[in-house]
Amino acid sequence: MSFVVRQIAKRADGGDIIRTRTLDIAEITVGRGTDCDIQLADLGVMLRHARLLQLSDGTVAIQSTGGIPLEIDGKFVSRADLSVADNPVINIASHRLSLSKGDAPGSIAITAERVIAATDAADAASETGIFSLRETMPSKRGLAWVLAGLVLIIGLALPLFMMGGSDLPADMVAAASRPTGDGATRLQPALGGDDVKKTGYSADMVWTSGPLSTAHAGLSNNCGACHSQPFVSVTDSACVSCHKPDAVPDHASADRMATGRLPAGGFEAGIHKGLNLPEGRCASCHKEHEGPRGALMVAASFCTDCHTGLSGRLKDTKIANVPNWDDHPQFKPTLVTVASLTAPKFERVSLGDKPVERSGLVYPHDIHQSATNSVGNMVQKQGLAAGPNGALACSYCHTPDSDGVRFKPIEMEKNCGDCHDLAFAKDGGIVRTLPHGKPEQVAGIIRDFYLGQALNPRAGVQRLAFERRAPGKMAELEAADLRITSVGEARARGDAAIAQIFGANGKAGGLCSDCHIVNNTGAPNVAERFTIAPVTLASHYLPKGQFPHGQHKTYDRKTGDAACVACHKGVMTSKVSTEVLLPSITQCRDCHGSTNVATNVAATCNTCHGFHYGEGGQGGDIGTSPHRKPAKPATVAARALPVKLGSAEPVGAKARRAGV
Amino acid sequence: MASRAAGKAGGKAIARAPRETTHEGFLTHKRSRWLKIALFLSALSIAIYVLTDPQPRANGGSVAGYALGTLGALLIIWLSLIGLRKRIITTKPYSLKGWTSAHVYLGLSLVVIGTLHTGFQLGWNVHSAAYVLMMFVIISGIYGIIAYARLPEQLSANRNEATQPQMLEAIRALDRQLDTAAQPLGKEEADIVRLSLEKTDIGGNLWQRLTGRQPNCGTMRARDAIQALVNLQMRTGKPDQRLTQILFLLERKDAALAQARRHIRMKTQLEIWLYLHVPATFALLAALIAHILSVFLYW
Repeated sequence: MSFVVRQIAKRADGGDIIRTRTLDIAEITVGRGTDCDIQLADLGVMLRHARLLQLSDGTVAIQSTGGIPLEIDGKFVSRADLSVADNPVINIASHRLSLSKGDAPGSIAITAERVIAATDAADAASETGIFSLRETMPSKRGLAWVLAGLVLIIGLALPLFMMGGSDLPADMVAAASRPTGDGATRLQPALGGDDVKKTGYSADMVWTSGPLSTAHAGLSNNCGACHSQPFVSVTDSACVSCHKPDAVPDHASADRMATGRLPAGGFEAGIHKGLNLPEGRCASCHKEHEGPRGALMVAASFCTDCHTGLSGRLKDTKIANVPNWDDHPQFKPTLVTVASLTAPKFERVSLGDKPVERSGLVYPHDIHQSATNSVGNMVQKQGLAAGPNGALACSYCHTPDSDGVRFKPIEMEKNCGDCHDLAFAKDGGIVRTLPHGKPEQVAGIIRDFYLGQALNPRAGVQRLAFERRAPGKMAELEAADLRITSVGEARARGDAAIAQIFGANGKAGGLCSDCHIVNNTGAPNVAERFTIAPVTLASHYLPKGQFPHGQHKTYDRKTGDAACVACHKGVMTSKVSTEVLLPSITQCRDCHGSTNVATNVAATCNTCHGFHYGEGGQGGDIGTSPHRKPAKPATVAARALPVKLGSAEPVGAKARRAGV
Repeated sequence: MASRAAGKAGGKAIARAPRETTHEGFLTHKRSRWLKIALFLSALSIAIYVLTDPQPRANGGSVAGYALGTLGALLIIWLSLIGLRKRIITTKPYSLKGWTSAHVYLGLSLVVIGTLHTGFQLGWNVHSAAYVLMMFVIISGIYGIIAYARLPEQLSANRNEATQPQMLEAIRALDRQLDTAAQPLGKEEADIVRLSLEKTDIGGNLWQRLTGRQPNCGTMRARDAIQALVNLQMRTGKPDQRLTQILFLLERKDAALAQARRHIRMKTQLEIWLYLHVPATFALLAALIAHILSVFLYW
């Protein structure tokens, strides 16, 4: 009975060193300890790991003595009887014991060898792996490919694949096609506000060069709405698909704009041309992707760029050159030159050129501003709106419109009728009034009144006279006027009354001639004899600009009517309506653009002017373009009294003759 | 001297090429020529920005914006070419040192040029992505310059004349001694030593390399555990000689590891920025393509 132990050790060069010992005992011990028969220099092995006992019949009993199970043929056991003929293999930590029959009869050969190389931390990695990042980090090249690929996919490929636009949002289109209105609102279009619309994701959104203006924020994920063609700059057609010309009229027709525009030159123009950026597009002024108010931020210099020397380029323009605010030309109000029911004529005349307006109306401002004359009496008796001094308030006739920019049109019945009531007779308790604006009806009504009184005189009917009479005799005279004995007398009285009411004979106190120029045509038919010169009142003297009266209620520490006449200086002394009582531009410069007052206020072009006003409007620079389309023809609506024009003579001449 | 004397003896004067006696680094190359050029470019860009008044506000789409953008894009492309230049061993047309000097200073001037090109408008878009990537590349480059200026000296001091293989060999030798010394020990004590032998990673992961710290290092755990055992034994009597021997070996291994890890930390700090600088540069080039193309696509 013996064990032949073969211990195999690895040499540094890879070769094996085999030591063979023969132990003539039946029991051997295995372990790390130096006292073991088979010593395994392996820290994973117990000092005394196992015991092998050779049995008689070619078997070996193996038993764990270190408390750690033995791995035998893949199984973990604490003891086992092994048949040597089966060449069993025992694994102990990093070592393997292989049992086989020895050469000598009855001997058992045990081969012990290390099958797992000794752990050596320093050997676990190469020098490069330990000291450089090569094995710790992914390669630079790989990282570069991944990152660049990622950027190209998100920044280029996906947007390219998904670019384009979807349908325009209906609510935005509707909002854009609505006129922005005139008055102050047009200067500050209904854009703005901070409630930026949230929109869904679109891959090409990563191409945005900045946030869209608030009004366009709803298009943030709809690049194709404006960028309709790749490599083609945003065209006006994209803009006008929402902003219809009716709502946002052109400044002038395209051909006149092209002629009038300051020719782009130099380096920048060359670049624009080279990069396919045509001048004069909407986007030339309205830069998008510039933040919430970006699209509206148009520099005032854009105006003077063209208007400084406009007349040099646009030869037929009627607009004066405007280099800056200090050299802004004097106001040229649009004045009525020919009042007419159907075709009034207007002309722009500078305030510096002694302008005369021929509205056809007789209206002395001065007597209507007195607190002590008959007008003042009427104001007090009737309780009309009065200023602090008791005189008629400006606002009695000049009623601000809804947005406080201008004034509602003056209407006879509303603004004049309380005093000038056209009453001509009393029938019992009923006051009979003449219809305003129908002179032919007036004559007939008066004639019929007298004829009726002649045929069927009634008590309680009283003719209201307008002439001044001695006190106390009024009633008697009026009664005598209606004591008619014949039809002929009635006709004569009627004709006289008609002439007196029209006031066409130069007599003061005529009901119509108080305010109107009346012509006596000499026609035999009394109903056609008298005509009233038409009246046209300009509703907007400076239609090219805006003056928000509501924002100027206080001026020079004055309020109310005092503020009005602080600018409209001639009102208190104006005796004739041909006087133009608009303040001069120097009045504006007291505050606007002035450095003399603490409250220096803005004097940029768009303080008063809008760009998209269209060419229309009286006095405008209409030009000759057939495509011209006035933005809002009613902006300077003429208002003519609905009378038949019975005179061939120009109204203006008559007005002058009448000293009006 | 000898050769000169020989030359003279031969009747022929051999003029030795003038050699720089002191080292001139890439930062001061040719009296900081490229620093001056970069400062000029930056000043020019600022002048362009300040002297123009684009409406409604400054951005990359104005004339000045396109000028600065073109200059910046050309610079970026040229700067990225250093990767090609350094692979070509030549002194002409420019030495690599000169090229590096220009790379550094022109790259720094891009901070001014690129930032002014943005008009200080940034957003979540491909244009700002290009800017952010550019700034990232530049900042990583600045880090690289600082690392190159400071770390080699510290590396040298830490190495203490030892080479990298010598550092590794010292640790390996200690491992072998530990293995031998632990053979007579019982299982529990042997297992402690195995911690050091089997659970010690010299380099570690990226963070451990950058900080040079491995709080969970097997050697340290083994050292502390053996120290505790020795302390315990010292309370009752004389400690086990074998354990004090192992403790001594573990302390030596700990010191060797600390040196190696300091070395690795500094080498990692020297290398890491290129792992950011180079891939970010390629990402930047991709973003630049997307940036420029998209501007003209949605013109």
